[in-house]
Amino acid sequence: MSKELAIATVLKTGPGSSIQGLGRIGQAKYGIPLSGALDMKSFEWVNHILQNEVFNAAMEISQPGFQIKFDSNTSVAIAGAQALIRLNGDELEGINLISIRANDVLEIGAFLSGARLYLGVRYGFKSPKILGSRSFYAGLTEDSFLSKGAKIKYFTESNPNSELNAKPKWSTDWFQTEEILVYPGPDFHLLNENLREKLFSESFRISPQSNRMGVQLLELLENELPELPTNPVFPGTVQLTSGGKIVILLRDAQVTGGYPRILQLPEESQWIMAQKWPGNKLLFKLKKP
Amino acid sequence: MEIKTNYTVISPLLGEVKWESSPDDFLLSTQLGFLDFLEKDWKDQFKEVRQGFTALSILWKNPEAQMTFQRQFQKFKIKPKELSTQIWEIPVCYAPEYGYDLGALAVARRLTVNELIVLHSSVTYRLHFFGFLPGFPYLNGLPRQLHTPRKSIPDRTVDAGSVAIGGSQTGIYPQESPGGWHIIGRSPVRLFDLLKEPPVFASPGDRWKFESIDPDTMDKMLITPPFPRKR
Repeated sequence: MSKELAIATVLKTGPGSSIQGLGRIGQAKYGIPLSGALDMKSFEWVNHILQNEVFNAAMEISQPGFQIKFDSNTSVAIAGAQALIRLNGDELEGINLISIRANDVLEIGAFLSGARLYLGVRYGFKSPKILGSRSFYAGLTEDSFLSKGAKIKYFTESNPNSELNAKPKWSTDWFQTEEILVYPGPDFHLLNENLREKLFSESFRISPQSNRMGVQLLELLENELPELPTNPVFPGTVQLTSGGKIVILLRDAQVTGGYPRILQLPEESQWIMAQKWPGNKLLFKLKKP
Repeated sequence: MEIKTNYTVISPLLGEVKWESSPDDFLLSTQLGFLDFLEKDWKDQFKEVRQGFTALSILWKNPEAQMTFQRQFQKFKIKPKELSTQIWEIPVCYAPEYGYDLGALAVARRLTVNELIVLHSSVTYRLHFFGFLPGFPYLNGLPRQLHTPRKSIPDRTVDAGSVAIGGSQTGIYPQESPGGWHIIGRSPVRLFDLLKEPPVFASPGDRWKFESIDPDTMDKMLITPPFPRKR
């Protein structure tokens, strides 16, 4: 099968959007974070409906007001956050598999629910591969974020699927919950009864100081926990700082840390976190592993 | 001698081997021995292992693999790995224009700036692992007189190559980043090189020795970053 390279040009974008894939697994020994799509469930769905490989890279769009122009035929798929989608100015209601013709402009407008939208293209976006992955990460890839005017390569599809503009089933109910399932972290035993009680009975709100590295919570949990020897952390690890700040690490987080690791979110809970906005409430629900 | 160790299941896919000891050479050789064992006997069962000062965390491919590992854990016989004899010489310019916290730190530690520099560059440090940032070395062995709590308000940006002290550790920032450690100098060495495989020159267990260089040498080395010398 011969495929020709084409170019997608970002005409408009808000801050914080990037290209992500599965991430850089196995390189933590060099201090390299995992990276990759924050909401892996939606990311995988995009590749699934495009009949792509599971590792094909997609755009992770975290702000409304995104516009992209494709210079050649292809198909794109959208999942994750629900947003107003326009193709050449016409609204596409509920359609998340879209056939694209040369010079089509696709626009992501207001977000209706969720915080991260995944835009995939047939065969994946071909931004440069660094250390085995196309996932953007500051200091590794040339770009840390998508910017206006960015030109991203993709393979054109000479014969796009005729069944396109379809509405494959995609529900967003799963991330509408405030309840976040967590496991006790490696340093959970350091928390006294009082701190545990607060952690699981009170609700917490997401701080605007949140990004792909981690989500900070607004409410503090005052504590007298010691500083510990630096040990491994993973995406989903919840750290409690000496100042009482609760930080839920996400996929761009560092690979080690010195703050007590009080909780661990399983992957499913991390996907939900990826779809929350600052100000959203959450309740931790403890589960034994 | 053996250090007490246990294995904790954290989530269905994540678990941690933890040693009840302070970080030192013996613990490191035990940890590296355990890493070799994992690589040899369990490699096709896990996605990734991460190393810290007193723990190894394992991300498993499936919950069954973790359960099998947990059941057998107490029976494992681990041979500590002999630590490397490799010493890397890392040039550092301790001039105030690079080590802008030198003065304040010397006052806090009741030393002269010169005494501080001599103390920092007279010992060899043991590389335990890389963390925090790509290529950031966690070095053990900072003389006790130099132990200093991290800054209460972190610096917004620390330059790449900055040599710093935080708590009982010393390290070098491989790239520009925010940072809470006290900056005492800068090294012209490139700690992390994307184009190399692996992207770091040293391995856990190697030792690092800082060599003080003058600003003229530094200026030249900044233009052509040297590869660290092996001793």
